[in-house]
Parts: sequence; structure tokens; C-alpha cells
Amino acid sequence: MRLFYRYQDLAPQLVPLDYTSCPDVKVPYELIGTMPELKDNPFRQRIAQVFSQDGDGHMTLDNFLDMFSVMSEMAPRDLKAYYAFKIYDFNDDNYICAWDLEQTVTRLTRGELSAEEVSLVCEKVLDEADSDHDGRLSLEDFQSMILRSPDFLSTFHIRI
Amino acid sequence: MKPSKASQRYRSIRRNTNQHYLYQDSLLLGNSDDSFNADETGDSNDPEQIFQNIQFQKDLMANIRCRPWTMGQKLRALRRAKQIVLKFEGRLTRTRGYQAAGAELWRKLARLACNFAVIFIPWEMRIKKIESHFGSGVASYFIFLRWLFGINIVLTVMTGAFIVIPELIAGQPFGSTVSKTIPQEQVMSAQDLDTIWSLGGYLQYSVLFYGYYGRERRIGRAGYRLPLAYFLVGMAVFAYSFIILLKKMAKNSRTSLASASNENYTFCWRVFCAWDYLIGNPEAAESKTAAIVNSIREAILEEQEKKKSKNMAVTICLRIIANILVLLSLAGSIYLIYFVVDRSQKLEQSKKELTLWEKNEVSVVVSLVTMLAPSAFDLIAALEMYHPRTTLRFQLARVLVLYLGNLYSLIIALLDKVNSMNTEEGATKNTTSHWIDPPTFFATRTAPEGGQWPTPGSGMGLRRNSTSTWVLGETSILTSTMPYTKANKTVLYTQGPQGQCWETYVGQEMLKLSVIDMLFTVASILLIDFFRGLFVRYLSDYWCWDLESKFPEYGEFKIAENVLHLVYNQGMIWMGAFFSPCLPAFNVLKLIGLMYLRSWAVLTCNVPHQQVFRASRSNNFYLAMLLFMLFLCMLPTIFAIVHYKPSLNCGPFSGQEKIYDIVSETIENDLPAWFHSVVGHISSPVVILPAVLLLFMLIYYLQSIARSLKLSNQQLRMQIQNARSEDKKKVAQMVEARIQTHEESTKRLPKDSDLLSQLSSVHMVTAQNNGNVVNFDSLSNNSIRLETVTKSLPQSPGQRHRAPCSPLPGESRSRPEEDINRYPHDPSASTGSLQKNRSCTSVTQIQSINHVRSEPLSRKDFQPISRLLHEPGVSALMTHGHRPHAPRHYIVNEHASRKKTHPIFWPERHFKIDALGEVVELYPRNVRQYKSWAPHQPRCPQLSEEEDMLRRDFVQWPVAPRSLTDLPQAFYVDDRSESDTRGPELQPRIYYKSGDDGFEDQFNRPPFVHKKPCSRNVQYPQHPLKPRVKAKFEPSFTESDSVSAASSSDQQNSSTDQHLQVMPRQGKFPRSAGQLGRRKAKSRQALPADLNDLVCSNV
Repeated sequence: MRLFYRYQDLAPQLVPLDYTSCPDVKVPYELIGTMPELKDNPFRQRIAQVFSQDGDGHMTLDNFLDMFSVMSEMAPRDLKAYYAFKIYDFNDDNYICAWDLEQTVTRLTRGELSAEEVSLVCEKVLDEADSDHDGRLSLEDFQSMILRSPDFLSTFHIRI
Repeated sequence: MKPSKASQRYRSIRRNTNQHYLYQDSLLLGNSDDSFNADETGDSNDPEQIFQNIQFQKDLMANIRCRPWTMGQKLRALRRAKQIVLKFEGRLTRTRGYQAAGAELWRKLARLACNFAVIFIPWEMRIKKIESHFGSGVASYFIFLRWLFGINIVLTVMTGAFIVIPELIAGQPFGSTVSKTIPQEQVMSAQDLDTIWSLGGYLQYSVLFYGYYGRERRIGRAGYRLPLAYFLVGMAVFAYSFIILLKKMAKNSRTSLASASNENYTFCWRVFCAWDYLIGNPEAAESKTAAIVNSIREAILEEQEKKKSKNMAVTICLRIIANILVLLSLAGSIYLIYFVVDRSQKLEQSKKELTLWEKNEVSVVVSLVTMLAPSAFDLIAALEMYHPRTTLRFQLARVLVLYLGNLYSLIIALLDKVNSMNTEEGATKNTTSHWIDPPTFFATRTAPEGGQWPTPGSGMGLRRNSTSTWVLGETSILTSTMPYTKANKTVLYTQGPQGQCWETYVGQEMLKLSVIDMLFTVASILLIDFFRGLFVRYLSDYWCWDLESKFPEYGEFKIAENVLHLVYNQGMIWMGAFFSPCLPAFNVLKLIGLMYLRSWAVLTCNVPHQQVFRASRSNNFYLAMLLFMLFLCMLPTIFAIVHYKPSLNCGPFSGQEKIYDIVSETIENDLPAWFHSVVGHISSPVVILPAVLLLFMLIYYLQSIARSLKLSNQQLRMQIQNARSEDKKKVAQMVEARIQTHEESTKRLPKDSDLLSQLSSVHMVTAQNNGNVVNFDSLSNNSIRLETVTKSLPQSPGQRHRAPCSPLPGESRSRPEEDINRYPHDPSASTGSLQKNRSCTSVTQIQSINHVRSEPLSRKDFQPISRLLHEPGVSALMTHGHRPHAPRHYIVNEHASRKKTHPIFWPERHFKIDALGEVVELYPRNVRQYKSWAPHQPRCPQLSEEEDMLRRDFVQWPVAPRSLTDLPQAFYVDDRSESDTRGPELQPRIYYKSGDDGFEDQFNRPPFVHKKPCSRNVQYPQHPLKPRVKAKFEPSFTESDSVSAASSSDQQNSSTDQHLQVMPRQGKFPRSAGQLGRRKAKSRQALPADLNDLVCSNV
């Protein structure tokens, strides 16, 4: 319910209060991205893209609910890991390759690292987590890595 | 140009495969939907089955949250599952339904209660708000604070319920006894601010402190044993703290057990887990970014430092100096505190009126030291150039030592003072007995009861309010006129308020320390954080440098230091709780205040620390520190309890030799005799020694068990590791195969550029190809053979033209030509536009001419055919016939490269599977068929058909691209339609048949799909454990393939139209499962027979 009102708040002119009749409304990404919860997140665009139906960041209510159900504290960690993988997989090829990693690092650091540092970090990350040495991270690699992290669960959620 | 072309194609195909992948995914989900349908429709009357079905649906409902579906899908599935459950549940027994309903209701209620309970968790919303702004690190401080608050609440309840309230209700009222009355000379100043400030006056004689409590063994009508309760509660405070701490630690270590594994993912975690998704505040986000940058840099540095060893001498020197400095400052602080306590003691003795500073200097100094020294340590730590994390550890350890040192020096100084008090008391007593010899008897005898007596001598006390020597002097005078007892009483009486009650004194000091500490905290928050924040924010516009980023900045919230401060504070409470029962209550208030103040300060004027020390909820570090603190704070108290004699005339234990005597006394007097004897036996060495031994044995036993468990744990982990590495090996093998193909493809990409040279070389080699075909056949190397055969393809059409041209120059010319040819081919294949192909007619023609020249030694098989073929349709081919060259050359190119790479990468051992053998077997037949078939070709009215086909291709191409097989198929059709000979057409078909198998194998690895028909050959022998999906898909595809082949053979008889109609159907086939390899083999074997038959009939 609260989520719905939040959703409605985002675009009062777009979203009708009575949702039973009009299920085909999308809130554009520009509005989603300005939510205080997402505003400062370097991956907000990715989050919106991953959870929106057609990957353009515009969200229906269902997508919106989806997003916060995954990001809630109650969501199981496998699910979280799955979506985290999708979020970090920038080019949607079901692998996290070096390019995805570069994107991740530059977004994380807002471009404060030099190119060599970024490439070094990417190399290291691949070195550490790539269990099959194919030069990119598959979902399994990512899950086995991320689920062992002590604070993944505590950091990978959004409170609304 | 060519590589780009190739990569373009690569990408387009990859996109297709991606689409396919997604499609497959959705189909899988769709399958799950279908399964519901199946469940729905497949309702039987078997209740067990229905029940299972319902169970399944319920499981689904319960776990729907865990599935990575979109919300709409979830809702659909949920609705359907509910429907099914509703529909079928009625058929089952009623009780089950009721049970389920009851459970549902209960769950809802529990959820409601849960939600309701959240409201009552103190500060939950506040903490969540902080967490959402500053991340979990800062929130952990507040959670820790709240937890401490909880502990203090319990301690307060314990002391309040068992000590303070009984005393207030049933104890003797204020002023009724000596220990509860303010001495006359202090009454005047008892309400002065500075008296109250120093916890004297009324406060000193209140329930706050030990001294107020009466010494009656039973109070009130119910006979509450207050002294016993006091002692037991004092011990219970420690016991409770210990238990709760250990419990919490055990819980934490249990939850953090999983994450305690070896840290070999430092970089990954730093990248993937670094961002705190809770952060919703620009400043916090900024500092988090900075922290991440720092941590990544730090990791890089660490990585680099592992490699190089640098000049250590300087750093070692610096570290030694730093440590010396730290030690000096520690010693200095300890000495300072001791000195201050000593000085205050002397001042108290020498001066009557103390200034405010003199009264409070002990606590002020201690608080100052605790505040300033950490920053000094911080500065010193900068000297050491440690790794930041190590620095933080060192810093924390030093601060902890400092705090402990402070507390210890304070308590030791206090106890020292107590000691001196005791000796003083002893001395005065001695002098008393000296001066008044006769009454000594009385004095010693009546002394214990002194406190109990009524106080008629207050008037005297008023007069004798100076030093004890004077009192003694007067007493000696009074002895002549007054009863001895009274004199004794007054002596004792006057001594009491003078500071005899050392417990009260200690309690006072602790409380004072706590208060001052609180004030300093508040002051530091206000000054250092708030005003600094105000200053920085509002003056930065007018300042000459950027205040926000340069010097003063905003205050950082130093989680570690603040947590340590909490620990220190709690240590003070534990230390003083025995002497001042209200200390926990005071601490509760203090923590509440701190909570609000801190959260306010954090939200308004702080930025999070850049070096976030990992302080998640599951971190035992703070708890370990707290435990350490508790233990060390307990020691002095226990020591005081055990070692010192309780004050004579104040407190519940006055008159006893030791405080703990109260227990034995109670046992002796108040409990039945048998219990006494039992306790006596138990406490005898006969029992205690074995008990201690037993305990030791138990500890040893448990420890060895723990060790063995650890060992087995390690072994299990090793096993897991092994299993995993084996998996990895398998994966690696797979990947190796993939990499090889990848290399191949990458090789091919560059090769594409010199493909032409290769091609030309192939053409050159074709002379040998005739021989090669035989060789390859003997090798039964399917793919190679196929390639060689297909390679001969262009040669046959090439011969059609038979244009006279010198072979070598033609080849050299053919390079650019083919280049161009291939270029338009792709768009033509994808769009099916004829025009493009036509546009390059002339080029292809020249090229084909080249071919003719280049293969004078082409296979005998081909030559007659092509001749036959060409003669009737030369003119037609001039317009249409050249089109084949583009695609075919294309294929040839691929084949050429493959031909080159395969013999290198795949030795024969890869081709051992029966099916392959069959393909190989099949192959010659096809060739044969093609030979026999070829003569019929000219008969066909090709041109119209061809155009028709091409158009169909055009249609088919956009329709069918979802499945990969369509790609080659369309390709193939294209190819075939363009090809004039029916014979060669079969060859690409066969080729693609094998190719399709490869494609299906590759379904899960989209990028490589198009590259190699041979991949299956590699993977099959090597990975029998490949996912079942492939195995499932593959036969189905091949089956459809064979169907298409069969139909194509039909259609060759009748018309090509039918053939094409079959083709699109292939897209639908792939899902049909359950086709086995046998079937495939059969159909394949059947196919050539069929073909042969058809050929015969045709002939």
C-alpha cells in the first residue's frame, strides 16, 4: 500500500488512484531515478532497467513492486544475488565481462580512478572470482562469490 | 573490411542466439505455466494425488517470493495456484482444510503482531532513518547503543526492584538513623548547588549510594533481607552481564560463521558489495564513493606491496618512536590521574572549603584525558605508516588500553585512599583507646551496634564538628561527665560522616565521573560537531579557503571511537554499580540522552567516516571488547568486596568482617540446619577439589571435541574444495574447448581477411583435393570430409563458365572480387534482396571464371555434372546463376578456414561417436546420390523455381530467425536455390545437418554458436555430463532435420515449394522432446536409402 502511494507520488498526473481499471501505466525512468532512495545510487539506471519489463527503465506498478520486493530485507539471498548479477551485467549478455566490470568500477568511484587502476581492478576481480577462467563471470561464479561476502545482505537492500 | 564484416555477422548471429536464449527462458517459464495447466486438467480422483498437487501449489505459493519472476507472472501463478487449491481442497477431508485455514489465520496474526511489535522497539524508526542515510556502519553504532540500553534497563530493574524500592518502602525513613541523616554541619550547605554538583549533601545520603542502606538483616513486615539482597544483586549484575554478552557473542558467531571463510575475494567484494544501497543522502553518497575509492586504492597498494619489499628501516624506526610515544602518553595519563586523585585527597584533608575545580578535578581530568588522548594517538598513528586497517586496530587497542588504564588508575587511587582511610580509622581508634583506657572495652564491644542506636548526640556532634583529634580530645574531657557508651558512640559517630564510608565515596566518584563524562560528550558533540558544522556551512562562502573540503571540514562520525566510548562508559557502570545501586538507572537516562543527541548530531552535522570499519551487526569485535571490559571492571569490584572491610557504620554490611560474610551468616541463621550442614559439606575441600578437577576435565574434553570438530570441518571443507575443483576442471575442459573454438573463430576473423588467399590456395590445392577427399574419407573425419566436399562446390559451378583465363592471375584477381562478393552476400542472405546479388553479377562471374581456371584437376564427379548442368542453362545462369557464388563462397570460406583449423585443433580422437560415424557413413551415399541425381538437374525448370525460392527465403528469413537452425537452413536454402546443381545442394545440407547438431550444442553458449559444426564432436566425448537440455534438443533437431531432408527429397521429385514449406516448420519442432539418438541414427540411415530410392524412381 505504501509502495503504491510512493509510486503514485512519483507521477501524480500519470497514475490514477484507482488502479483496478487502468493497469497499463508506466512511470518514466526520469521520475524513478529521482526517488530519494535511488537518487544517489550509482546503479539506479541499471536497477530501473533490470526491473522494468522492456529494459528501458520505465516501470509499471508491477515492476515497481518487484523492485522493492527484491530489495526488501525479506527477500531471500539467492534472489538478491540473482538480481545483483543482473544489475552488474551491463550489456545483458548473462555474463559479467571486463567491460561490465569497468562500468561498475567507474560508476562506483565516479571516475576517480585512473584507467590503469580500473583495468587492474577488473583484472583482479576476474582473477579472483572467475572459477572457469573464461575471462568473465557467470551467474554461478558471481553467486558463489557474493554469497560469501559478509555484508552483501546488509547492504543490498533499499528501505522505503 | 572483412574482419568487420565477419564480426558484424558474428554479432548478428549472437544477437539471434541471445534472443533465442531469452526465448528459451521464457519458454521454460511458460513450461512452468503449462505445468499448472497440466495439473489443472489432469485432475484425477486419487486423493493422494490431489493432495500432492495442492501441496505443490501451496509450496509454490509459499516460495513465490523466491522466484525471479516478474510481478505479473508471480501474480498469475499465485492466482492459478490458489484457484487450484480452492478447487480441489473441497474434495479432501475437511480437517485438512480447517488445519490449513487455521494455520493461515495464525500466520496472519503473527505477522500482525510482528508489525505491531515493531512499534514498541525503541528508536527503530530513528535507527532505520539513520541507516537509510548513512549506511549500516553508522547504524550499527546505534544498534549497539540500543542493545546496551537494553542491558542497562535490565540492570536497573534488578537493582531497583530488589534493592532500592524495598529500601524506600520498608527501610527506615530518611533521618531516622545516623547513616541516613545529613550531618548537622553540612545541612546548611546541603542544598547548595556545588554540594549537589559534587554529589554531596542530600544526594550523598540518599538511595543513590551504598551508605544509605540500613544494616538491619530484615526490614519491613515481610522480613525482606536487604543486605543479602544487596549482595546477591550486586553479583547478579555481573552474572547477568556475562551471560547476556556471551549469549550474544555466540549468536553472532553462529550467524557470521558462514562468512568467516577465507577471504579470497577481496577485490570482488570491494567492487560488488561496496555500495551500500541504503544510502540516500548526497553527502553520504559522496563520502561512500570516496571510501570506495580509498578502499580500492588501498587494495591495489596492498597488492603491489605484496610484490615489493621496501625500505623498512625508516618505518621501523618511526614505529618504534610512535610506540614509545604512545606508551609515554599512556603512562603520563595514568600518572596524571593518580596524581590528581592523590592531590584531591590531600586537599580534602588539608583544606576545609574546596573550590568547584578542586572537587571535580579528578573526573574532569579523567574525562579530558579520555577525550584528548585518542586524537593524540591518531596523530601518532599517522607517523607509523601502517596499513589503514592496521592503524585502526592499533588505534582501537590503544584507546582501549587508555580507557582501561584510566579506570584502573582511578580505582586503584580510590582504593588506596580507602586503604588510608581504614588505617586512619584504625589509628584514631587506637588513639581513642589510648586516651580513654577504661572505656575501651565498651568502645570495642559497642562499636558494631553504634549505627543502630538512636542519635541523641547530634547536639554534641554539632559542637564537635572539627577534626577527629579535637573530638577525641573533647571526648576525653567528656568521659568524666558522660557515660562511656555515649562517648564511644559520639566518637564513632563523628568519624562516620567524615569519610568513613568508603563505599559511598567510591560510588560518588564513579557517578561523578559518569556525569562529567556525559557533560563532556554533550559538549564535544555541540562544540566539535554542531558548531563546527554551522561554522563550516555558513562561513565557507566568506572564507579564503574551502572550509568544507579543506581544514575544518565537517565532523566525521567515528564509529569505532564512539563505540569504544560506549564500552568505556559501560565499564564505568559495572565498576560502580555495586557501590551505587542507582548507577544503572542513571546510565539508562544517559544512554537515552546520548541516543537522541547523537542521532540528531549525525543527521544534522556529521559525515560518515571515510574509513568505515566493518561493524556490521554480526561483528563480534565490539562485543569482545565489551566482554574484556566487563571482566576487567569486575576485578576491582570483586577485589574490593573480598579484600576490604566494609565500613563500620554505614551500608548494609556494616559490622561484618567481610562483605560476603552475609551469605554464610544467612545460611547459618536463617536456613534450616540440614541445609547448613549440606552447604558445609559442599564447601569442604572434599567436594570442591573433585569438583574443580571435574570442571577441568570437562573443559579439556569440550576443547578436544571442539578441536576435532574443527578438524573434521576442515576436512569437509577440503572435500568441498576438491569437489568444486573437480567441477572446475570439468568446466575448464569445457571452456578449453570453447576457447579453442573461440580462438578458431578469432583466427578466422583475421583469416577472413586473408581468406581469399586461403581460398585461392584452396583452389590451388583443389588439384590435390581429389586425392584429399579419399584421404579424408579414410580418416573418416567427418567434418573435414564435408568441407572438402563442399569446397569442391564452388569448383563445380566454376567449371560451368569455363571461361578461358590464366589460373594464376585469375586467382590474384579473385581476392578483391570475392571480397566484394561476400560483402553483399550477407545482406542478401538476411534481407533476401536479389538486386544486390545481381549488382555484383559481373564480379561473380569473373570470379567463377577464376575458379574454372584454378581447378583444372577438379573431381571427376563434378566435371561431368557441371558440364551437363551448365550446357542447357548458360544463358539463365548469366543472370541468376552467379548468385550462388556469393553464398557459396562464403561457406567455402568458412570451410576453408575450418579445414585449416580443424586438423590442428581436433585430432581424430574427437570423432568417435557413433552418430558421427553414421553421418560419415551417410555422407558418401549422399555424394553418390548427388552424383546420380545430378544428371536430372538440367531437366528442372530452374529459374522460376529459384526465384520462387528466393522470395520464399525472403519471407522465411524474418519469420524464422528465432531458432538458430533456421539461420543455416535459410542460408542453405538460399544457397541451394542459387545453386544450379541439385547435387551440391545436398552437400551443404548434410553439412548443415552436422552443423545443426553443433548449433544445438552451442545453444547455451550463444557467441560461439555459428562458428563450428564440429564443436559437438569435441564436446561429446569429453563431456558426457553436459546439461541435459542439449541432449534433449539435439535429437529433436536432427530429427526435424532428417524430416526436412526427407521432405526435400520428396520435393526434389515434385517441386521445391514443398521443401520450403517444410523448412519453416523446423522452428516449431525443436521443443518436441523425447527423440533419442537411436532414432536419429535410424532416420539418417533411412534418409539415404530414401534418397536413393527416389533417385531411382526419378531415373
